[in-house]
Amino acid sequence: MNAVTRIAVVGAGQAAAVAARALRRRGFDGAIEIIGAEAHRPYQRPPLSKEFLADGLGGDGSGSDGSGSDSADSDLFLLPADWCEANDVRLRLGQEATRVDSAAGAVELADRTRVPADAVLIATGGRPRRLTTSATSDARVHYLRTLDDALRLRERLLPGAHVIVAGAGFIGAEVAATARGRGAEVTVIEPREAPLLPLLGARVGTACAELHRANGTRLRLGVAVESVEETAAGVVVTAGGERTEGDVLVVGIGIVPNDEVAARSGIAVADGVITDEYCRTSVPNIFAAGDVARHFHPLFGERIRAEHFDSASRQAAVAAGAILGEARAYDDPYWFWSDQYDASLQYAGHAAGSDEIVIRGSLEDLDFCAFYLRRGMLRGAFGIDRGAEVTAARELIGQRRAVPPGALADTETDLAELASTAPQEPDIPQEATARGNIA
Amino acid sequence: MNAIPPMNENPLANTAPLAVEPAGEWLQVAELAELKRANRKKVMVAGTSVILFLIGGRVFALREACVHKQRPLSKGTILRGKVVCPGHQWKFDPETGQAEDRDECQPVYAVRLDSGHVYLNPRERVPDTGSRV
Repeated sequence: MNAVTRIAVVGAGQAAAVAARALRRRGFDGAIEIIGAEAHRPYQRPPLSKEFLADGLGGDGSGSDGSGSDSADSDLFLLPADWCEANDVRLRLGQEATRVDSAAGAVELADRTRVPADAVLIATGGRPRRLTTSATSDARVHYLRTLDDALRLRERLLPGAHVIVAGAGFIGAEVAATARGRGAEVTVIEPREAPLLPLLGARVGTACAELHRANGTRLRLGVAVESVEETAAGVVVTAGGERTEGDVLVVGIGIVPNDEVAARSGIAVADGVITDEYCRTSVPNIFAAGDVARHFHPLFGERIRAEHFDSASRQAAVAAGAILGEARAYDDPYWFWSDQYDASLQYAGHAAGSDEIVIRGSLEDLDFCAFYLRRGMLRGAFGIDRGAEVTAARELIGQRRAVPPGALADTETDLAELASTAPQEPDIPQEATARGNIA
Repeated sequence: MNAIPPMNENPLANTAPLAVEPAGEWLQVAELAELKRANRKKVMVAGTSVILFLIGGRVFALREACVHKQRPLSKGTILRGKVVCPGHQWKFDPETGQAEDRDECQPVYAVRLDSGHVYLNPRERVPDTGSRV
């Protein structure tokens, strides 16, 4: 492989920003261009459903206000103008990429501009999944993905307003919590019998439902949205045959990966851009990271498309290394947080396929950590106000430490200590890694 | 500088010299024995909540409220010698307060040990952080 001299990043979110910083930190001194469809400088998404939605942070990111010169802005904006200037990173904002012409070494934009690049990182993220029962033109139906979405939604989260939320996943739950914090009435409609049921199971999901109820959020569980009508005064949502009237409907039912650029470029996609453990796609010199990437995770032995801030950041750093010829896999356990009401929810690992749940603390008191085991091995952990336990679990999972369930349940056992003392499971078999290697 | 206790021979004495010797009064804030059960103890210093950690045989003092979102470091974890915030898992060097992979610094305090007593200098230390790529 010839030395890379020009790198283009398609997408301008968390992964793009981390990749640019990582490339410069590693001493890459060639051209870096970041192509973003939005007009804003790269910004963090986690605050958009939490503190930014609640009270904003100042600055719109499109001009000098996005320079990140004060701490509030630097909370949101990832690549301030002065940093880009000092590090010679070019942002092409408000421009849409259509495909990568890997043979010619260029990214094609919608306006027919060709951005030359001998390595490309695809970090196009995702877009909200739409409610099929609602017209996209509805002014009172909101989705939340972008900074502009958050600014529009904030206008609706007023004291006394009735906010209906479709979907009790993390975005829906955070919007509900923020709306309550702003004095709105909130009803959450969720088709499953408990929030986060597929991820956490019924017992822990029910505890999450209690967290909502304890904070005055009404839940309508086990009913799917059947229709949405806009009226002069608001919106009427029918679910389970029952009508709920509100001022606004916020839909949080997941995202669809923006893998069209990759597909048009002849890159293998399957609900996301398929990558190996090094974030390499099926086409040489093209890499993918973040929400759009369906990455082979060596620790869990399968291809997973994660939608977390932390994995996007770490994958981007790994992709930056891979672009420069390093062979370091992204194999950290997943980790994410969700601040809801005054509670800190955190999750580590990958609980899919777990066959045993061990609870430490009290589900009833909403002060617990749930550990998810598969064939006796710790695979995932979810806690409410148990950041220390989730930190330790993340470490235990990453190191494949074998921890007796009794120790997990025992509040007197220091889990952080076990992270250096418990026996380690042998390395995963080679064939598992080979399966992920598509390059 | 006054009221600095004499340094006796102590197997748990902090050994690293301070980059800048802080001025001001040293306050006796805890007994070393109190830190041994949970490897930590919360103390109040001039109206500010400070968390003492016993890590690798040394005592460190950090402001309790995390510089990021004010979550209490007292409920955090010690991993590989770093203090991990329970809120959003920012990792801090307990000596300098420097956040791992970030520009921010957690305010820290100088600590001295003498005859099983823990002394703290109430002046916060926030090291200079250069700009970072």
